[in-house]
Amino acid sequence: MSLNDKLKKLRESGIDDAKRAEHLQELNDLRVNLLGKKGPITQALRGMKDVPKEERPEIGTLANNVKKEIQEAIEARMNDLNKRMVEQKLQEETVDVTLPAQSHELGTKHILNQTVEDIEQFFIGLGYEVAPGYEVEEDHYNFERLNIPKDHPARDMQDTFYLTNELLMRTQTSAQEGRDMEAHDFSKGPLKMISPGVVYRRDDDDATHSHQFHQLEGLVVDKNISMADLKGTLEALCRHVFGAEREIRFRPSFFPFTEPSVEVDVSCFNCGGKGCRICKYTGWIEVLGAGLTHPNVLEMSGIDHTVYSAFAFGLGPERFAMLKYGVTDIRDFYTNDVRFLEQFKGVN
Amino acid sequence: MKISMNWLKEYLPVEHNVEEIANKVSLTGIESAPVELGTDLSGLVVGHIIDVKPHPDSDHLNLCQVEIGEKEPVQIVCGASNVANGQYVIVAKNGANLPAGKVIKSGEIRGQLSNGMICGLDELGVKEKFVPKEFQKGIYVFPAEEQPGADAKELLGLNDTMVDMDITPNRADTLGMRGAAWEIGATYDHKPSFTKPEIAESKVVKNNDVKINIKAKDLVTDYLVRTMSNVTVTESPLWIQRRLWNQDIQPVNNIVDAANYVMIEFGEPIQVYDLDKLTDKEITVEMAAEGHKLELNDGNKKDLSHDDLVITSGGQALGLAGVQKSSVAEVTSDTKNILVESAVFDGTSVRKAAQRHDLRGNVSNRFEKGVDNGAVSESLTRAVQLIDSITNVESISQEIVGVQTKAEPIIIDGKISHINSLMGIELSPEEMLKIIDRLGFTAERNGDEISVSIPTRRWDMTIEADLIEEIIRIFGYDNLKGTLPSGHETRGGYTPIREFINKLTSVLLSEGMDETINFALINKHEVEDFNTIHTNLTRLLHPMTEDHEYLRTSLVPGLIKDIAYNQARGNDNISIFEQGRIFDRKEGTDRPEELEYIAGAVSGNVLEDSWNTTSKTVDFYDVKGIVEEMLMFTNSDAEFEYSATDQIPNLHPGQTANISVDGDVIGYIGKLHPNYQSDHNVADTYVFEINVDKLFELSRKQVQAKSAPKYPSITRDLAILVGKNISSGQIVKDIFENGGDYLIDVNIFDVYQGSNIESGFKSLGYHLIFQNANDTLTDETVEKSFTNIKNSLVSKFNVEVR
Ligand SMILES: [Zn+2]
Repeated sequence: MSLNDKLKKLRESGIDDAKRAEHLQELNDLRVNLLGKKGPITQALRGMKDVPKEERPEIGTLANNVKKEIQEAIEARMNDLNKRMVEQKLQEETVDVTLPAQSHELGTKHILNQTVEDIEQFFIGLGYEVAPGYEVEEDHYNFERLNIPKDHPARDMQDTFYLTNELLMRTQTSAQEGRDMEAHDFSKGPLKMISPGVVYRRDDDDATHSHQFHQLEGLVVDKNISMADLKGTLEALCRHVFGAEREIRFRPSFFPFTEPSVEVDVSCFNCGGKGCRICKYTGWIEVLGAGLTHPNVLEMSGIDHTVYSAFAFGLGPERFAMLKYGVTDIRDFYTNDVRFLEQFKGVN
Repeated sequence: MKISMNWLKEYLPVEHNVEEIANKVSLTGIESAPVELGTDLSGLVVGHIIDVKPHPDSDHLNLCQVEIGEKEPVQIVCGASNVANGQYVIVAKNGANLPAGKVIKSGEIRGQLSNGMICGLDELGVKEKFVPKEFQKGIYVFPAEEQPGADAKELLGLNDTMVDMDITPNRADTLGMRGAAWEIGATYDHKPSFTKPEIAESKVVKNNDVKINIKAKDLVTDYLVRTMSNVTVTESPLWIQRRLWNQDIQPVNNIVDAANYVMIEFGEPIQVYDLDKLTDKEITVEMAAEGHKLELNDGNKKDLSHDDLVITSGGQALGLAGVQKSSVAEVTSDTKNILVESAVFDGTSVRKAAQRHDLRGNVSNRFEKGVDNGAVSESLTRAVQLIDSITNVESISQEIVGVQTKAEPIIIDGKISHINSLMGIELSPEEMLKIIDRLGFTAERNGDEISVSIPTRRWDMTIEADLIEEIIRIFGYDNLKGTLPSGHETRGGYTPIREFINKLTSVLLSEGMDETINFALINKHEVEDFNTIHTNLTRLLHPMTEDHEYLRTSLVPGLIKDIAYNQARGNDNISIFEQGRIFDRKEGTDRPEELEYIAGAVSGNVLEDSWNTTSKTVDFYDVKGIVEEMLMFTNSDAEFEYSATDQIPNLHPGQTANISVDGDVIGYIGKLHPNYQSDHNVADTYVFEINVDKLFELSRKQVQAKSAPKYPSITRDLAILVGKNISSGQIVKDIFENGGDYLIDVNIFDVYQGSNIESGFKSLGYHLIFQNANDTLTDETVEKSFTNIKNSLVSKFNVEVR
């Protein structure tokens, strides 16, 4: 066989072996065996001396090409095998993504506190301070300073838990108004505050009553505070809480510590005002009470009512949450069944 | 009060249906709801009974022949015991509709044809207690002749529509038809017109014999009476009766009914007495004396006290003033001469008496909230006129004055500009004056200043703010455009303690604990069970139930209740907390301090069985981990020490630690005592409770940033055998004390006692981590420290290093 034919044959078998290799090791062996110093190609080239001189360059080129082609075939096969191995590994590592997660559950903030904080954040954005109050309060602040003297018929509207003749469980967060007004330095600007907290009434607990519940009081005292300011503020609040499309309306009402007094309705967020079960087919839902602070209340706190005016409002977080989330039994807020609590994860 | 449209029409044009009116009145004045009577009634006519015969096959049924305005009388079988020939009655014809979907059909009753039904008022939906007594158990009989076949529903007033006004305490002026007419009139810009009551001059005589003696002058501002002679007591005409039962008042007789009618008309309670039953025709208004009793119609007697204002005669109580008449001088069918009273009693006194004796009603409700003292005389005149018009009397006395207070209009001065500024609108003076006129007030204007005269019927109005309310509600709140306060910018935000609380709660939430809110009023056991602050209990003066009698001294009882509630419902794995106040009452004080606390409770598994995990129940160290993480977030440089305690009664004596800072206990962690757990039906539960106020007081540390170390650390493991009573805390403390400058951390990786370990001993394993932030540590340096550590442990705690 001529050297030429030998090389061609080696090329054929070498490429063939490379293509058929199943392991990287085989390819490595093949490379060493075929292309190494002791390999058949090198061996074959030893016969070059027998080749006529003028043919030598041709054979040399052929031999280099053969080496190169086998080398390429081995590398190509190596790439294939590597690719196959990666694919196989990926295959093996595939997981069932529908299996449950390794849970790292966060707790759920109580829905009433979520509701309160949402309202707090809204008012903080409007420059209101959040003032805490006392749960045990003096009759003086809870009633007298709110224009509700002893024997006032309005005291019938809220039966009170007394500790002594002068101390009671506050029945309303409005009790904070007097304290904040007398503490405020009006030379430093207006008083804008909200005061959220727990209040207590002598009520039997049932689906709509609880002897303990929450309120959030708001108070703004400045020169030129008007009913229009009250309406604009509550309009913005109701839109924040119940949706940007909401309208509000005022209805005349009576509270001893505001004059004029109003009850505030928000257009039904469920039916948009057309009428449904939630709004009792009126299109409106009562959400809070408000008014301009009664001149007597300002004067008792040492504020000249001919110079300053004020508005105040009070709302019930339970009522807000019941409306917003369809809670039908106020007791659910206080029995703390975790299945009830956890459904409100992240709603606010 | 329910405002009848049929009645209101006497004063005002009524141009809208009740639904529309109720809605508008709600928006401009008083919360109102529409009421439509008799919507479920039809086929009711007047029947004239012309023959009554017993039913041949019944001992209690009668066969009545009844004219009902048709060609022939119809036969109706009737079982009422008061049915009689000649009566004018209510007939529900064949096909008539009655309440609750009842339909009347002709048919046979025990073989006799019955063409309809003769009805009682209660069968038409009038509540039995408002049906005249003699017709409560039977059919209703019209008091006078009526046209057979006439519409009975209309005659009985059961076709009326009403606006039910739910008044606020300040609007008692609308507790009478006249006041309501002013209110609805102002709403629709109609001025009501009223007929002035007048008495036939020829009948008026001088008072010669009646003496009024007002002793309790501070509680009676007006007390006027008139006497009337020779009255005939009968039942009232139908037009009075129907207006009363539609007002939920039972018709009694023409005299009592007339008094009640005037109360509804004017809002002023009127009382009538049998003059001949008064001792010496004398009346005294005074505080009740010992032995005074209020005799009620049902035969019961109520003992009266010195706090009760009473009307007496000859030492006998005729009534609790402004609340309830006694049966003593009641007007009955025998009464010939009467005394009619119109008065104003002190509202507070009336309210308290009515509450004390549980006798609140139409009369006390009005006095409590106030009545118009400008209408006392007029309403008395009206009552007398009405009685005279029903039962032509012989004579009427002049007005006899016990006491009278001059009724004068209230003058409110205001500035138009100020009123506008408080409303936030710009009404012209003319617009403002027009609204004031619409309300029936009169105003004088002088430039920016107005002076408004308020009639006595609006005694609730005293100051400019009241006037503003009237103007703005009639102007219409819907026309008010919202603005935001335009004063100086203010900086809003939470108080520092509240910011701090928010941080603590967010840590517990991130530790997977659900937030709860529990009651602050708890029972005696609960308040004592975790009184770890050893405070005096604070008790309500008048608790409603034993469950809510004391102010809590710990948040833990509430959490345990929650766990029991949840575990009873199959929610076994619970991790909850509460942030709230507890009440700490110092000796000798009434008012408890309100301390901010935070507490948590964990029960059941902290890790659940799953496809790739196995479950783990909570232990002390899980809860300690939560607490430590929370304390870390307080950003305090204080050292929190955990020391075992067996001094908290309802906690496990071997699994409880006080947490303290510089010897001051700020809280505790512990497992509930097994007995307590079984008493309260909870599984193994760990709790913690921390005083947030104390935490807040601890100094905040100023964080000075350091670069992360660039040199590697070296770890040595230490395994020791040590007596069981030595705590790991003691060991770790000692390791740090002897570990040199480069010991930065000690982590326990093993705690073992049991087989292979001598009893009374335990094996502990620690990783000790050494690091020099500025240089590479050498083995020699570490080895030296490690030896010091071991030597110290051996000499101090007699440990065996393994
Ligand atoms: Zn709706």
